[in-house]
Amino acid sequence: MAVLADSDRQRIWRGVMRLWSATRDPLPAMLKTDIKAAVDATDQWIEDNQASYNTALPIAFRTNATLAQKTLLFCAVAAMRVSAAFLRALLGEVD
Amino acid sequence: MARTVVSLTPGSADFPASNFPQLSQIDATRRRLVLAYDAATDEAAWWTFAAPQGLTAPITAIITYFMASATSGSVRFECVVEAVTDGDAIDLDAADSFDATNNAGATVPATQGNPDQISIILTNNDSMTAQDMVRVKINRDADGTTGTDDAAGDCYVTLIEIRDSG
Repeated sequence: MAVLADSDRQRIWRGVMRLWSATRDPLPAMLKTDIKAAVDATDQWIEDNQASYNTALPIAFRTNATLAQKTLLFCAVAAMRVSAAFLRALLGEVD
Repeated sequence: MARTVVSLTPGSADFPASNFPQLSQIDATRRRLVLAYDAATDEAAWWTFAAPQGLTAPITAIITYFMASATSGSVRFECVVEAVTDGDAIDLDAADSFDATNNAGATVPATQGNPDQISIILTNNDSMTAQDMVRVKINRDADGTTGTDDAAGDCYVTLIEIRDSG
């Protein structure tokens, strides 16, 4: 899997800025360009470390899950680190 | 002496078909209406009013705003004026006659949510005179065409005052 197209990275950039605006989440000492650079860096880090992530997965899941399922699992765990409400917004329900 | 010509509120704005600021109510308790101007895309809204008798240049637009999230950087707005006079040769259902852009920017307040004002001198005012039907278009210059707009997140516009020199 290659890094995302810049147009998709821009969609993430616009989306997170809108979300943080809607929640009035303060963004101290960060400009628009800083947030875009962070999006780029995150995507590049995922690209550079996907093999390491795959190796860390238990053998049954590693060998049987699709790339999309592995990526979704990664996102779900990361989303729970934001909040259960955020994960619920992604998955529909979190008990 | 400066004089307020008209006050333009978020609720009285008109919008284009696309790329317009969202009319939002900030906080369920305080119910403050704002126009939420996006950080990544130029968005515009406009207002229509009658130019008052005794209108005297220079004319200025004062934009009152606060930032949703940002505590650093700058925002920049453009203000474009269309002044239609009785008998003008303009087909109003097929054309507009907006003058060239006026613009100004400001460093955003260091505390998120605190208000600030940007004054834009309307040098290009389409020769606005008393009794004209005036449209004022306000857009955030998110792509920085006329100057620096690097503050992250939405810019909430709460009020626009049009002022003349009385």
